[in-house]
Amino acid sequence: MSKSIVIIGCGAAGLSAALNARKTDRNANITIIEQEEYPAYSRCALPFVIGGEIKDINSLLAFSPSMYKMMRIDLRLKSRVIDVDSKSKTVMYIDHQSREENLHYDSLILTTGASPIIPPINGVNKRGVYVLRTINDCKSIIEASSNSKNAIVIGAGLVGLETADALYRRGLNVTVFEILPSILRASLDEDMAEIVKSSIEGKGVKIFVNRRIDEITGDDRVDGIISDGERFKADMVVLATGVRANTELAEKIGVQTGVTGAIKVNSRMETTVKGIYAAGDCVESRHIITSQAVLSQLGTTAVKQGRVAGINAAGGYATFPGVLNSMVSRIFNLEVGSTGLNTLQAESYGFKVFTGSVTWKTRAEYYPEAKSIRVKLLFERGSLKIIGGQIIGGEFVAPRIDSIAQAIQSGMTVFDIIDSETCYSPPLANTWSPITLAAESALSKIKVT
Amino acid sequence: MVRINNYEVIDGLYYSENHVWVRVERDIAVIGITDYGQKNLREIVNVVLPDLGVFINQGTVLGSLETVKAVVDVVAPLSGIVKEVNEKVKSKPSLINEDPYGEGWLVKITPSNLHVELLRLMDFNRAIEWHKTLT
Repeated sequence: MSKSIVIIGCGAAGLSAALNARKTDRNANITIIEQEEYPAYSRCALPFVIGGEIKDINSLLAFSPSMYKMMRIDLRLKSRVIDVDSKSKTVMYIDHQSREENLHYDSLILTTGASPIIPPINGVNKRGVYVLRTINDCKSIIEASSNSKNAIVIGAGLVGLETADALYRRGLNVTVFEILPSILRASLDEDMAEIVKSSIEGKGVKIFVNRRIDEITGDDRVDGIISDGERFKADMVVLATGVRANTELAEKIGVQTGVTGAIKVNSRMETTVKGIYAAGDCVESRHIITSQAVLSQLGTTAVKQGRVAGINAAGGYATFPGVLNSMVSRIFNLEVGSTGLNTLQAESYGFKVFTGSVTWKTRAEYYPEAKSIRVKLLFERGSLKIIGGQIIGGEFVAPRIDSIAQAIQSGMTVFDIIDSETCYSPPLANTWSPITLAAESALSKIKVT
Repeated sequence: MVRINNYEVIDGLYYSENHVWVRVERDIAVIGITDYGQKNLREIVNVVLPDLGVFINQGTVLGSLETVKAVVDVVAPLSGIVKEVNEKVKSKPSLINEDPYGEGWLVKITPSNLHVELLRLMDFNRAIEWHKTLT
């Protein structure tokens, strides 16, 4: 008899799990149950839809429903799982016609995702206050922005800044508020964050850091906010204060969560309940450098974990190595990326670090289109191993971040990086790579015995 | 030929909802994957096709197409005996992406119940209407 694999959630992790389960077992019955009306789409692209760079929202779908049929993946949209009996291996759900259905599984994969955190601010439920998580959120923000002049974004993480950028592109006056002392604090050191902040402010977008929001004001509809006693006008407010793993179902069925509050999994993406796997934004990951549990909640992590869960759930064997939380983003025409630990994180884990930075050109200096780029690398004292990197610049940040991540994963030292061969041609690269130079700058700061 | 949302639909072919097309050439039926099918799958890297002389049933799996990230079954649009398989697409699967209705054909069969089974497929006009419903 064919094996039955049920996947709860058709986001990046759920789809990746289904595709890889199908590749592993050509005969398995694979079912995906999804609450939304759309199958897997690129959430990361939503800010660029708001900004008008992507015109067709349907193009964000990874596959059309008809292609799921072709892959023999049974897609049940607008369906909500209400319970799972892990003894009899049954999933109970309400289908799109509000009928209660039961489904047997041999392997179950939880890819229930995460939901925006709604901060406890007075007035947060007023009309005109938005979050950005789904296609429908995206449509609401686009609609609201066409009737708005002033927008406030609360939270200067990735989603907050990308959304601020998008609203700015739509012609709104945008102001960003951040409760922490610097922007992109999960990724960048303060000196690097300051460069990004000045660049954004150069466009006329104000960013307030270290600022608490006292209240979102307005009668029924938002008309502004009060922050540290100061009043700011707004026709719309976007909350971008992070996401929380959706673990309600997991907890209900006895699947354990870890220290981060997300679902605990081993390297095969197995939860603490036999036959149940989990992947994506709803799980916690092991950090490659510290071996500690961390939240990743990135699209790349979701698809990789989904792949591992899908292969294992179908009877194959695969493991997930952990995360460095590499990220890259384009914020107001500035590319920003980071991987591994930043200084704050490294010190909180007890690492003694030394760093090196350089501002350089992406191509030969005399080449007309050469752009400025700044690279900062973090190394551990003693072992001299690279543990983090941050890059801000005009172009080619993503592949450089990938190469730093590879250096971290392979345990390279500051000497290994200085010795690494790099390529060069005036219109494409510089004779010295900025990564090599940042490593040299770091080395010059320590006395090697 | 018409283009529906950037997907080509060709006159004179029959289509199944599994994104498979059929071209009847006298007593032979040529079978392949539609433009919509190949475009949505993206680059095909591996093709499995049936052996010569095998009898395939309408609605059953006749082979599979694999991409880097996905694998799909090719569902037989008609019943019949496999007369010829496209050896070229086996060694160069990208032919399916480059020319899905031509060089990228998959198998030729001698249909066993052609006229009855064709009624279960879409003709050109119905295929156009159907393509309009696909996102």
